[in-house]
Amino acid sequence: MNLLNVENLQVEIGRGPNSVKAVRGVSFSLAEGEFRALVGESGSGKSITGLSLLDLLPSKSVRRADRFQLENLALPNQHHGQWRKLRGNRLAMIFQNPMTALDPTQKVGWQIAEPLCIHRGLSRRQAWQRAIELMERLAITDAEKRAHRYPFEFSGGMLQRVMIAMAIACEPQILIADEPTTALDVGVQQEVLGLLNELRESRGTAILFITHDLGVVAKIADSVSVMYAGQVVEQGPVETFFTGSTTKELHPYSKALLAAVPDLSGGKPLQGIAGQPPDLRRPPSGCGFAARCSQRMEICDQAPELFHDANGDHRCWRWHEAFQTYLSQQGQVRGAQHD
Amino acid sequence: MWTFAFKRLLSGAVTIWFIATATFFAMHAVPGDPLTRDKAMSPAVRAQLEQRYGLDKPLVTQYRLFLGNMLKGDFGISFTQENRRVNDIIREHFPVSAMLGITALLIAFIGAVAAGSIAAQFRGQWPDRLLMMAVVAAISVPGFVIAAVAQLLIVQLNNRLGQPLIPVAGWGGFSHLWVPALVLGLGTMAYLSRLMRASMLEVTNSEYILAARAKGAYGWRLFWSHQLRNALLPVVTELGPAIAALTTGGFVVELIFAIPGLGRYFVQAVQQLDYTVIMGTTVFYGAFLVIMVVAVDIAYGLIDPRIRYSRGR
Ligand SMILES: Nc1ncnc2c1ncn2[C@@H]1O[C@H](COP(=O)(O)OP(=O)(O)O)[C@@H](O)[C@H]1O
Ligand SMILES: [Mg+2]
Repeated sequence: MNLLNVENLQVEIGRGPNSVKAVRGVSFSLAEGEFRALVGESGSGKSITGLSLLDLLPSKSVRRADRFQLENLALPNQHHGQWRKLRGNRLAMIFQNPMTALDPTQKVGWQIAEPLCIHRGLSRRQAWQRAIELMERLAITDAEKRAHRYPFEFSGGMLQRVMIAMAIACEPQILIADEPTTALDVGVQQEVLGLLNELRESRGTAILFITHDLGVVAKIADSVSVMYAGQVVEQGPVETFFTGSTTKELHPYSKALLAAVPDLSGGKPLQGIAGQPPDLRRPPSGCGFAARCSQRMEICDQAPELFHDANGDHRCWRWHEAFQTYLSQQGQVRGAQHD
Repeated sequence: MWTFAFKRLLSGAVTIWFIATATFFAMHAVPGDPLTRDKAMSPAVRAQLEQRYGLDKPLVTQYRLFLGNMLKGDFGISFTQENRRVNDIIREHFPVSAMLGITALLIAFIGAVAAGSIAAQFRGQWPDRLLMMAVVAAISVPGFVIAAVAQLLIVQLNNRLGQPLIPVAGWGGFSHLWVPALVLGLGTMAYLSRLMRASMLEVTNSEYILAARAKGAYGWRLFWSHQLRNALLPVVTELGPAIAALTTGGFVVELIFAIPGLGRYFVQAVQQLDYTVIMGTTVFYGAFLVIMVVAVDIAYGLIDPRIRYSRGR
């Protein structure tokens, strides 16, 4: 059974005509030990999707979902005390910049110990002891001494370990990592990825890894969700995503993403898709990507739903039954001509 | 950090010397002297008095004598209050001023932290608007006006009740203390409230607060262990100037509420050119402020580990 099921998640930030429709239909699931990458250009709603899983949206946000289920627990759409018991406990988050995501005035030991005091009811002394163990587990040397130090005395990579220790203190089932390596040096990035990978293998922690680094995705993800303009436009197992461009058709946006990466192993940030993503205060009524799409059709003025096939989900009219039939007929015709 | 505090005290000593010297010469540059009175004085009497107080000596000699005595901690005898030693004046009246000042500072600081936090919490809603309106009023109305209005209100209240519930002026127990302290602290409280609100808003929107909430912290735990401490930093740096403002503001409030504090003697001494009292109180206030500024620095270091460590090593 899946740990987490999200269906048709919608998030609106602010009120009135200028509210940002940041998430406009995101559905995905996380199984135990699954490493799912959430990719997309910046501003596509990845962080907001991650935060809404913790009910930590900006004030004046409205969140709706057809289904929002953690194992057997159906989660409420609105703010509810129930979330507080989950945050840092069954669901935890790692942030992009460890330099700004740790409290500058608190010893790192306490910051790691805090969720244990909150959720496990440990005494401060017990929690402190656990914090030191966690630090040792994440290969922070001299943990006993370092626990007494403050964030400004650590390097970025070391701080990201501290943040991971903080996030996994209560052994969460689901870990949301919002670009946890973007702010770090390349060498440190590998270490952090190794730690996360080890975590899901040893504990079965499901990881939602938000990134725009497709190199990382290719290396360790099990599944990929591609977001564009607040919607999941394509998702599926990682193999079909990367091989898709040669053997099977991909969503035009995914194709553009892949084409924009010069070298998968280099892990360079995305660049070079012509045009701008739409303004999410007034999202287009049709397909969000139509304005930038090279394969645009007449029907793209209408919003496509998320079509399913053996390779996963695709939000594009090209996966509509009628179009698929048409495509296969074209293929047969072409095949016949070749004979 | 302690070596840092020591260095600050040392440079404070230089500051005090500078204040003392500047005051000494400025005071002597003012026309007239403590012996200039409405009543005419015969030249013989005047000469005798001048000799007694050492005013006949050259200015530089007087300065040297003054510095020497100051180092011994002796500020001499008042010119206008017969046979009263300046040290005694300070010893008797400073505790009164200090009591008033400390109470005012506590009221201002605690009030500001509470008001600023509440305003930030309810940003844009009515508690915020109300508090910020009060802040603007408290900053723009001068202290002596607030003092007079407060006295008027007390008089009305007492008349209405037919018995003196709150004393209008004078000095005694807590009942005499809190109204003047509130009046004195109001401006500072308003100023610090605004600072606290801005700083609390910034902290609340910071990523580390989001991260703390992601750990499951909320409500009072979040406030006490993450928001308050960080939000206090900019407010604590302003405490030095706040103490200076309360000290000088105290002069006026002491006069209006007839409180026998040191401020009143200082103002009187300036009016009467009472050299020794002016010098004594000025140097004393200077030293007091220097010590306060160092104390604030230490407090800041205790709250912010970054400061504590960078200064300590
Ligand atoms: N606090 C906020 N207030 C208003 N709009 C926001 C806020 N945070 C994010 N947004 C908007 O929501 C959209 C999605 O943002 P985000 O999830 O941060 O994108 P990503 O993480 O994919 O780069 C963007 O259009 C962004 O401008
Ligand atoms: Mg983001």
